[in-house]
Amino acid sequence: MNPFWSNIFRGSGYEDTLAYFLSTVPVFSKLKKRELNFLETIVHVRNYQKDEVIFEEGDIGSGMYAIRSGQVVIYTRDEHDRETEETVLESGDFFGEVALTASRPRIASARTTEQTVLVGLFRSDMLEAVRKHPAGAANILLGLTRVISDRLHHSQILIHELKRQQTGSDREHNQS
Amino acid sequence: MTDQSGLSRAQVFLLYFVLTAAIASGIAIFSSASTITEMLQTATDGLFLPILLSLIAAFLLDPLVQFFEGEKIGRTGSIFIVYFLISMLILLLLLSIGSPNWEGMMQALKADFPRYFGRAIEYLNGLLMKAQEHFPFVKDYDLPEKMRESAETFLGLILIHTPKSAMRIGSLFLLVPLFSFFFLRDSRRLMRGLISLTPNRYFEMVLDIYDHVSWQLTHFIRGRILEALIIGIVVWMGLSLTDIRYAPILGVIAGVTNLVPYIGPIIGMIPGLLIALVDLGMGGQFWWILCVYLLIAQVILDNFILIPILISRVSNLHPLLVILAIVMGGKLYGVLGMIIGVPIVSIINIIILEIRQYRRTFSPHLQIISKRNEVT
Repeated sequence: MNPFWSNIFRGSGYEDTLAYFLSTVPVFSKLKKRELNFLETIVHVRNYQKDEVIFEEGDIGSGMYAIRSGQVVIYTRDEHDRETEETVLESGDFFGEVALTASRPRIASARTTEQTVLVGLFRSDMLEAVRKHPAGAANILLGLTRVISDRLHHSQILIHELKRQQTGSDREHNQS
Repeated sequence: MTDQSGLSRAQVFLLYFVLTAAIASGIAIFSSASTITEMLQTATDGLFLPILLSLIAAFLLDPLVQFFEGEKIGRTGSIFIVYFLISMLILLLLLSIGSPNWEGMMQALKADFPRYFGRAIEYLNGLLMKAQEHFPFVKDYDLPEKMRESAETFLGLILIHTPKSAMRIGSLFLLVPLFSFFFLRDSRRLMRGLISLTPNRYFEMVLDIYDHVSWQLTHFIRGRILEALIIGIVVWMGLSLTDIRYAPILGVIAGVTNLVPYIGPIIGMIPGLLIALVDLGMGGQFWWILCVYLLIAQVILDNFILIPILISRVSNLHPLLVILAIVMGGKLYGVLGMIIGVPIVSIINIIILEIRQYRRTFSPHLQIISKRNEVT
């Protein structure tokens, strides 16, 4: 349809709000609208240019990011400074969530590949939220725990799989 | 051809006009720059004290506001609740006790000040005479005369500034609650706005360090103010037990000067001792007053109870730094600068310590990472 004639006034605009975007992020998907509005006040919206480093491996992490728009590549470096691309994240994805609960150095680097808007949730704001709004903060942290335990679960299964393959290949090796 | 030249002439004229206007306005701006800074200075002149006081009030009230703030009550609502409670409390106090007569006391003190000082100088003269008997070389110093001169200038300063400040106190009652309301409500948003200006690469670090520093700072400032308040009240109470006049003012002086470590308490003690000496003589009451100032307020209350509870040892300053801060603050802002110089230096000290602490805490992690890279 010709954009000139399409009804641009139809949408209520809620889909464009930060609260709606946060509700689409898996970590925050189970939050109620009230809690989302609260979350909106403690996150930081950051604008990145193309090819801007978000954090480097070894930096002290202090929070997680969700991608509102744009694209982020996660990579690691080996000893010769060669980059290995681990994954490419699109809008709606999130990363760095482990640093939210405990300040640990980042285990990989992140860089934007195009103009990107990130929504950051950081530990200091989270701690303040725990003090001021314990119920809402508990729900946010529960969502985070769910995501992290899912990751753990997946990696556990993966390790199991790899072990089985390993023993299988060992047996073949011994037989031959 | 003629048409074109006419047009170009118009253009030239326009260009000339614009250039002249630009140069003229440039000169005007340049010449008025000094008056603008002057105007700014006069405009902000009276605001320093209200802003300082409302910052202090905001720091003190913040825990109360946080206490009421929650799921049901927003921040603004809880600020109103706190304001309401405090005004009720003040009203109750005024109704039950009645306000101390500050105005009359100030007037009386102004009248009495020369008398006290005259007596003090007489007393000092006596001492000096005695000293001269034993150490003849002291004679060369004309100490009493110098002291009299400096005291007179000091008195003149007070006399000039008091009517002005009396006018100001009225506006303070209006401005301080207003300012501290907005400080309480919007300080978080303001600081977030400021922090969000940092470049992306350093954002996380700045946010983390800000969190640490602000935690330390609020505790330090709150601790200092509470300490001063408690000391002031205790001195007031202690002095009220004797026949000494001006106990409330002396309490205020003791509290305010207590903000300056090492030197402050001694300075704050002098007026009280002077008045006691002149009015009451060297009796038992004088020793009780000295005891209140030194033993009760300073040693027992401040050193054993308040400082360990309220203020962490981290923020201790080197005595040399304290003296430097007092001198520099005095040069910049006079008496007020002397009082707030030390707290400001302590604040800077805390910021530096926190940043260093932050870096030290995380360097082991970095070493682990670099080691891991070496192994692989």
